[in-house]
Amino acid sequence: MKNIRRCIIFFVVLALLLGIGSAWISSRAQSMSKYVKGRSRTYTGIAAEPEGSVDMIVLGDSESYTSVSPLGIWADRGYSSYVCGQPGQKVQETYYMLRHALEKQSPKVVLMETNLMFRNPGFFGNIQTSLTEFLRYHMPVFRYHNLWKMLLDGRVPNDDYKGFTIRDGVKGCDSDKEKNYMKETTDKAEIPRTVHMYMEKIMDLCKKNGAELVLYSAPSPKNYNYKKHNAIEEYAGTKGLHYIDLNLKAKELGIDWKKDSYDRGDHLNLFGAQKVTAYLGKYIDEKYDMTDHRGDSVYQDWDRLAEKYLAELKKRIKN
Amino acid sequence: MDKILEILREIDDGIDYANEKALIDDRLLDSFGVITLVAELEDAFDVTIEAAEMTPVNFNSAEAIWEMIKRLQEN
Amino acid sequence: MSYDAILYIFVFLPVCLAAYQFTPRRHRWKVLLIFSWAFFFLLSRALLVYLIGATLLTYYTGIALAWLRTEETTEMAEADRSGKREIKLKYQRRRKKALALGVILLLAVLAYLKYYNFFVRSMDLIPDWISLPLTLEEKKLVMPVGISFYTLQAIGYMADVYWGKIAPEGKPGRMALFLGFFPQIMEGPICRYSDTAKTLFQGEPLKYQNLTDGYVRIFWGLFKKKIVADRLAVPVAAIFDNYTQYSGVLIAVGAVAYTIQLYMEFSGCMDIIIGSGKLFGVCLPENFRQPFCARSAAEFWRRWHITLGTWFKTYIFYPVSMSGIVKRWNQFGRKHLGKYATQLGVAAAALFPVWLCNGLWHGARWSYIFYGMYYFVLILAGEAVKPLRDKILSACHIHEESTGWRIVQTAKTWVIIFTGELFFRADGLKAGVHMFRSMFRDFGLSRLWDGSLLELGLARSDLAVAAAGCVVAAIVGHIMENNKNIPQKFAERPVAARWCVYYGLILAVIIFAAYGDGYQAVDMIYAGF
Repeated sequence: MKNIRRCIIFFVVLALLLGIGSAWISSRAQSMSKYVKGRSRTYTGIAAEPEGSVDMIVLGDSESYTSVSPLGIWADRGYSSYVCGQPGQKVQETYYMLRHALEKQSPKVVLMETNLMFRNPGFFGNIQTSLTEFLRYHMPVFRYHNLWKMLLDGRVPNDDYKGFTIRDGVKGCDSDKEKNYMKETTDKAEIPRTVHMYMEKIMDLCKKNGAELVLYSAPSPKNYNYKKHNAIEEYAGTKGLHYIDLNLKAKELGIDWKKDSYDRGDHLNLFGAQKVTAYLGKYIDEKYDMTDHRGDSVYQDWDRLAEKYLAELKKRIKN
Repeated sequence: MDKILEILREIDDGIDYANEKALIDDRLLDSFGVITLVAELEDAFDVTIEAAEMTPVNFNSAEAIWEMIKRLQEN
Repeated sequence: MSYDAILYIFVFLPVCLAAYQFTPRRHRWKVLLIFSWAFFFLLSRALLVYLIGATLLTYYTGIALAWLRTEETTEMAEADRSGKREIKLKYQRRRKKALALGVILLLAVLAYLKYYNFFVRSMDLIPDWISLPLTLEEKKLVMPVGISFYTLQAIGYMADVYWGKIAPEGKPGRMALFLGFFPQIMEGPICRYSDTAKTLFQGEPLKYQNLTDGYVRIFWGLFKKKIVADRLAVPVAAIFDNYTQYSGVLIAVGAVAYTIQLYMEFSGCMDIIIGSGKLFGVCLPENFRQPFCARSAAEFWRRWHITLGTWFKTYIFYPVSMSGIVKRWNQFGRKHLGKYATQLGVAAAALFPVWLCNGLWHGARWSYIFYGMYYFVLILAGEAVKPLRDKILSACHIHEESTGWRIVQTAKTWVIIFTGELFFRADGLKAGVHMFRSMFRDFGLSRLWDGSLLELGLARSDLAVAAAGCVVAAIVGHIMENNKNIPQKFAERPVAARWCVYYGLILAVIIFAAYGDGYQAVDMIYAGF
């Protein structure tokens, strides 16, 4: 009996320590969001945005943040968006990222890149990720535990435009591959069970917060094929979601695979991203009647950052 | 018994064998010492010591060694 | 699922603990068996049949050996004096055959899975003009997890029954648990039946003390593995995978870093494993005892991977040194060659198979064989120069236990260890030799502080934390070395002091472990052997 009481006290104190540590490190992370690197970069980034200021949240793996540029949309259309993508994002991370974003934001649209819907780390991987993501969400000390490293390594600000980074390298891909990668078929790729499970949760979240969930596939010969297209097409159909597969619209968008990728058709570079951004920005705007905030004094920061962004683009394109 | 002490002293004369109770456990005798000891014992007492006997319990003290020898001689 | 995975420590273990506790005492070992086989199945799937096969083989060999012994006794009781000798010999032969059959079958499976491809590849070394009638092709062989470990345990068990040291296990299920107990299946410790069987089967109820001790040990293991070893894995891989680009002091840094990585990783996993056993009241044998305090190569191996060394000593070293041939040599040598040469001959004859097996056990690679031979030569040389060394020492009035001499010896042993691990980790013997030689080319000591170390993939902060972790481990090791009953003394401290240590350990692991942003999980090294 004495031992049980002792155990309880021990774990209560431990939980308190972790809870206090979590609260403290979260606020620190938010105030240093400019310097946070890696997977937590966009996580702190979205937390640092003013409450209720973001009209569209973009989710996904690296295909998301190499295809959509929020400041491009801002410059064209004037509504605000934020890319919460992470390299190799798993569906569990997507869910908690969205949950985290929705704590402060009430976007009209949640735009999700679909490549992550085929990611399957296996039985153990899935249990482990589900567990760790749950922990990291509720005890941010597990997410931000590495921040102490800045004390010793110094800090370098990110070159970040609302989750988008300018990548202007060019490494085109082989001509055969790009022509043939979307060959029509009736086969279907398989969406793993865990993805189904977490997609339900993501849809629930969107519904509760009055946001429209839209799926899109960024053009990528390396990651997409018709089988995946069929799988998502069917999935979106049964769930009543909008789905835009840009791989089928690559011509319409004017994607030139010799110039628009920086890693042989895995990801788009700046030039590819501009094309996708222009298309998606318009599509969403027309479909969901987004608000133009340009010139609004509340959004001064956006206007200022857009100027910087456009200046940077000019510089890069000249080179 | 005295014969055993004599053999032991020949291997390493810096140890008080009459009173030492942990020759193996305290590593006073290493495995090379043990195999030398076994060869000498076999000669001196005309017994065969098999690998099965190679446990610390049998070699930890002069007394234990003597017990083992007596047991082997009876067989 | 590896032992340092959050899934193992915080899901698998608690579920197993709960199932264990809620089962009646005499069935508890069955719970452990079910979880052990489930664990094995999750890792190796259908290869579980290998483990089951080995279990049955071991079990029935044990039964057969015991049966032969009872038969012998009954026959002996009826025989007269002259018949007895004959019966004894007859049964000795039979028992030997039964043991040999069991051991050979077990080893054949291990050898096939582990060495077949090596054998095929080595055939290329045979000159072309000896045309062999058979052509062999390499096969894709998948080893069941832990086979190198449970095979040794099984052989040890059979030998112990053969020698009459233990009674054979009567239940096949218990044999299965002895060989397949989940904490130790992946990388040992290699247990003897007489060490673990009792606590493994007695189904002791969970105890507060065991649980706290067990989990503290587990966290200490995580500290070593996740804070130090997983960080050092990065520069070690950088140096060893691109060894041609490095020379001089950086190769030396690689060798030292790898040795520390291997120690922290292997002994850290051992802490997790032994801690896991402790939760259930199972006492697994220790595998490390401050190896860096060793004063000679031989002593190092009594402190490093202890259960493997003990296994080799018990089942190879002694049997060989007491075999007929060696005994005959002993008699011949003492008449004709003198004591010194004879003893050296015996040592060489008994040590050679030990170190050949040690090398081969780690895997079928020439660099591992070299590694084994390296220690064979060094330890034999240590024996050979002992008389001379003793003379010199006494002539120079140097006391064995004097601090100065201890430092010299420890430093010498460190050099031996680091060099050995350099060859052990190098990607093949050729790479090892290349690295060893380039260590003496443009040494460039200044690279230790001119920032070159920061180019190996670790940030300043990572280096600092890894170093701090090493210091903590060294202090703990030093205390353990000088005080035998640390756990007891620690338990006598007031609660507040103990809890501070616990919280400190837990928080250190949470904050400083290499996980999350910017880190990748590192596989356990010894699970690969």
